[in-house]
Amino acid sequence: MNFLKNKKKLRSYREFLYILPFLIIVAIFSYYPLYGWVYAFFDYKPPFPLTMDKFVGIKWFKSMVDTPTKVTQLLNVLRNTFAISGLSTLFSWFPMAFAIFLNEITSKRYRKFVQTVTTLPNFISWVLVYSIAYSVLSSTGAVNSVLMGLGLADTPRMFLQSSEHIWFKMWVWLTWKNAGWAAIMYIAAISGIDEEMNEAARIDGASKIQIIWHITLPSLLPTYFVLLMLNLANFLSNGMEQFYVFQNAFNKEYIQVLDLYVYNLAMGGGGYSLSVAISILKSLVSVVLLVATNSLSKLVRGEGFI
Amino acid sequence: MKLRKLLSTLLVVVLIATILIGCTTPSGTGTTNEPTTKPSSSSGQPDTPSTSSDKTITIEMFNVAANYQGLQSGWFAKVFKDGVNIELNVIAPQVAGDAIYQTRASAGNLGDLVLLERSDFADCVKTGLVREITNEIKNCPNLMEYKAQIDVFNESLEGNEAGKTYGIPVEMTNTSPTSYSQDVIYSSPMLRWDLYSELGYPEMENLDDLLDVLAAMKEAHPTNEAGDPAYPFSLWPDWDGGDGMMGIANVVQLTTWYGEKIKQSVIVKPDDTFTDILDKNASYYKITNFLNKAYLKGLVDPDSGTQNWDSAVAKMSNGQVYLMWYSWQVGFWNSQERLQNGNAFIFVPVKDQIYYADSDSYYGSGRILGVGSSVDDEKYQRIMEFLDWYASPESLMYQHCGIEGFNYEIGDDGRYYVKNSNALMDNLPVPEEWGGGGYNDGFNKFNQWIVASISTNPKTGEPYNTQYWSTYKESIMTDMKRDWAEKFGAPEPVDYMKKNNVLSVSPNVSITLPSDPPDISVVRNQCEDLLEDFTWRMIFAKNQAEFDSMWDQMTSQLNGLGFQDLIKHDKEVFSIELAAKKEAKAAAN
Repeated sequence: MNFLKNKKKLRSYREFLYILPFLIIVAIFSYYPLYGWVYAFFDYKPPFPLTMDKFVGIKWFKSMVDTPTKVTQLLNVLRNTFAISGLSTLFSWFPMAFAIFLNEITSKRYRKFVQTVTTLPNFISWVLVYSIAYSVLSSTGAVNSVLMGLGLADTPRMFLQSSEHIWFKMWVWLTWKNAGWAAIMYIAAISGIDEEMNEAARIDGASKIQIIWHITLPSLLPTYFVLLMLNLANFLSNGMEQFYVFQNAFNKEYIQVLDLYVYNLAMGGGGYSLSVAISILKSLVSVVLLVATNSLSKLVRGEGFI
Repeated sequence: MKLRKLLSTLLVVVLIATILIGCTTPSGTGTTNEPTTKPSSSSGQPDTPSTSSDKTITIEMFNVAANYQGLQSGWFAKVFKDGVNIELNVIAPQVAGDAIYQTRASAGNLGDLVLLERSDFADCVKTGLVREITNEIKNCPNLMEYKAQIDVFNESLEGNEAGKTYGIPVEMTNTSPTSYSQDVIYSSPMLRWDLYSELGYPEMENLDDLLDVLAAMKEAHPTNEAGDPAYPFSLWPDWDGGDGMMGIANVVQLTTWYGEKIKQSVIVKPDDTFTDILDKNASYYKITNFLNKAYLKGLVDPDSGTQNWDSAVAKMSNGQVYLMWYSWQVGFWNSQERLQNGNAFIFVPVKDQIYYADSDSYYGSGRILGVGSSVDDEKYQRIMEFLDWYASPESLMYQHCGIEGFNYEIGDDGRYYVKNSNALMDNLPVPEEWGGGGYNDGFNKFNQWIVASISTNPKTGEPYNTQYWSTYKESIMTDMKRDWAEKFGAPEPVDYMKKNNVLSVSPNVSITLPSDPPDISVVRNQCEDLLEDFTWRMIFAKNQAEFDSMWDQMTSQLNGLGFQDLIKHDKEVFSIELAAKKEAKAAAN
């Protein structure tokens, strides 16, 4: 019991205890699931437990690319993932711009109203978003009724059934749902800008645009870059819910992203081992991306974010 | 400071305790990973085992037939409670997703009662997820009525040389394996009689004629009475790939009009030979092409590829659809009133067609009912009691006919008369003494019967199915039906088919086919997705040339995914079944 007497040591033990619950949670929810990777190396088929399955080594990794059709399919999926992620990265300044302009609205009530209305969609599930899309865009939906009522179309246009501009459409839906929510971070950052700078600029005769360009924007850039880097590290995961609800036979070729592909494979028909193999690869690539963007950040900003 | 210390200590303790509690073994299951998806209602189970049937118990059932998840409520909850004093809690992979099968199987407990597809059931017997019921089933008089069928199934299980009993097939009949008792087969072209007679009963030689008739109907009636746009075809993608058939459900059903039956990737032709789905001379191509022609004529609902089953049903009930092809589908439109008014749907023959039909499901429909391996003895007795009751004539009347006095009544002559035939369609409120609520809302969530409705009720000598009661048949002998009978020279569609020799009945056999090995299952899944996507796009192809180029593209992509291996596998597997069917046919002749 000697160490109990050492006050400094005792304190470090106590502080370790503070963080212990979180370590346990991380271990259970983030590290324990990695055990599931073992399924990629077996011929797993429910209801047979692993002990009754055959060990097959890296068969499933090989089977991903063993015919040209499969390679094409995988490349298609990657193309979609990169296109959709790329599009949202390209427009990642949008919530920032939205926050800046929102901040310029002088009527407080109107500003709050806009903010609430744009934030709300974030809390609607994708399934409901799709039912909204369906009722608006189906052959008898609002848009087609207006088009046909005005005589602009004689047959209903099948918006949901076409793969035209599908990546862009997906981005629009995502932005509609998320922009308000994403702007919150920037709004907070804007309110953190020293008011004295704005006042000084105003006294010096700066216009509104000049203030935004020379004060607000530069102050937001660090936040923007951190979020951008985090997004880049997540480049391969665009989530699957959105694409799951919007997918149909007509657009699947362009909408099936990596996460959805893994889901369709495993849940659609029991290709558990193969989809685990694919997600292992995905995790590995994501780690590489994270390290790469971190070094990029070090190079550009002189500091990393991890 | 002291308080803060205390608080932080408490927090740590609580957190650790929560984690530990979360990991403890649930009593009686012997597993550590009880899935979190387990409905909370099961916590309503008594902690100590009940000692007699006067204690209500909750039976948790893994049920692949159910399309509802949760506790049974409404009038059927009362039937269960009065009958055997149980509550039924349904776990439905159709609702929760197929992954729940994997989750629960790896947790070692599917449910107290399990209803599975046949090959899955065989797998679960191998892995010990299903309990042996050899001894107890002997004490179940109602189930023993079907001993022959139950034994045939269990003997077909691999490695069961000892002849133990594990499972009970569902939808068994007390007729015979080769007889055909229905009046209407599962799938045949059905038209609105009023629209058909308006056109002067045109004879149809082939599918092109059918399209012309449908086009004329749409021409004359572009909307329903309320003014909503109507299309002869309204398809839906929700059911694609179900029922052990590859390809989109609507196409697959229609292939039976040419005597062909799709079994996964292969097609069994009327002459009992195999071909595959990609054969351009076989029915999958023919029907997809037929639907494309229909689309090009503007006869297909443009929402077909994106709408869900509920929207499709709404259109059927609103009269926005002019062709139906499932025998039960007419239930969304036909009522006694419409049969009387002559605007109901009925089978109209197309001359070049031979209709495929499965015979009475004497040995069962293919799904199997069993008891989960982790139930305790007390509960096990109650479950067996429940199953026996579920197969009893008394319970079957509730399952197939409904409530006496509400759905039917017994006349002074002792015959049974149907009442409120629209109870299910219109969700009529049930009498207060049955707990109130809508009839459809409180309907049997088990959604599967041990004894099929076409079986004979020993009490009445007639089938349970109300539509086959002599009193019901008399009541729907309307002008429309007489008109039809006179036109086609037969009282019912099946009589017409038998008379003209266009009905090809496939005998019911009891064969447990092996489930897919993992390699095949991946290939099947990938091919199925591709096949379905292409089929939908082909239905909406802009012209025949585009259609054919898509078909070729599909063929080469499917082959790239290993489709030929799949065909080879399926041919081998289904040869076993085909051989048994041939044998059954020979035995019957």
